Amino acid sequence: MSLTPDELGKKIKEAREKQDRHSADQKPAVKARDNSSGTAQALRAGTDLVAALAVGGFLGYWIDRWLGTKPWAMIILFFLGFVAGFLNIYRSQTGQDYKIGFKETTKDKDKE
Amino acid sequence: MLASPLEQFVIKPIIPLHIGNTDISFSQSALWMGIAVILATLLMTLSMRSKALVPGRWQNVSEMLYEFIFGMVNDNLGNEGKKYFPFVFSVYMIVLMGNLLGMVPYSFTYTSHIIVTGALALTVFILATGVGIVRHGLHFFSLFLPKGLPWFLAPLIVTIEVISYLSRPISLSVRLFANMVAGHTMLKVFAGFSVMLGIILGILPMVVNVALYGLEILIAFIQAYVFAILTCIYLKDAIELH
Repeated sequence: MSLTPDELGKKIKEAREKQDRHSADQKPAVKARDNSSGTAQALRAGTDLVAALAVGGFLGYWIDRWLGTKPWAMIILFFLGFVAGFLNIYRSQTGQDYKIGFKETTKDKDKE
Repeated sequence: MLASPLEQFVIKPIIPLHIGNTDISFSQSALWMGIAVILATLLMTLSMRSKALVPGRWQNVSEMLYEFIFGMVNDNLGNEGKKYFPFVFSVYMIVLMGNLLGMVPYSFTYTSHIIVTGALALTVFILATGVGIVRHGLHFFSLFLPKGLPWFLAPLIVTIEVISYLSRPISLSVRLFANMVAGHTMLKVFAGFSVMLGIILGILPMVVNVALYGLEILIAFIQAYVFAILTCIYLKDAIELH
């Protein structure tokens, strides 16, 4: 089977169009991507919680030093960090991964 | 006497270099990073040299790596994200090579240092934030403010969202670093038991060590995978902005 360059070009173009249509149909679906082991997931949840706590505490500490409001900013931000940590875990466990903001959630619900 | 299980993480300069008061010595960490980069480049170029239609063993390895990451980028970012593929692939390879080369006896695991994983995670974080700001301008910051939020809740929610956003590079780097340190320390501790128990009883910890070694190789792949997929997810947030 031999094709002239023109025919081959046409064939490639068709195939490309087909592929584009195909990938357009398949929107990057929200899949259960995290098929790693349970241990890996547990470790991930742990670091997520601790990281948010650390960020909260650290921010609070520096705001306190900056504004001289010791110890209020640290106390408040530490607890907000705790909340953020649980939010992180909640999001990673409900398959929203690390999305910030709640917009995607409501859209997902509309779709279903 | 037995060496401390943590001694393996000490950075030793190979070529001492000092500029002023700054120590920029070429350490064994830098050496292994260099080896990782060279090996990854050689693996990808040499194995693809023949460009055979029916791939041989080596070509299969590099094609599998390529397709694995390409599929991941395509699933998460779609057509739009193809231009970020080289970045994600490089990140994946440098983490994977670091983890795997660390399993070679007498080598050094550079991913067991928070400064290395932290720098990688910060690169990802800055890139994702930069892409978001370039693509959406100041609208990008609406990410932190859910729609339909009562005004009196806004300060609270925005603070929580900002903390959650800032915690991402930290949890990304700490996860990889902690996994590597924990695994390698454990291997060393069990090896120490073998030395202490003598030749006959020492076989028991050695058996455990063999199993742990397999687990560590699995973790090396899982952590590189997690690092790459989270890079994709962060980029996706920045590109799509919901």
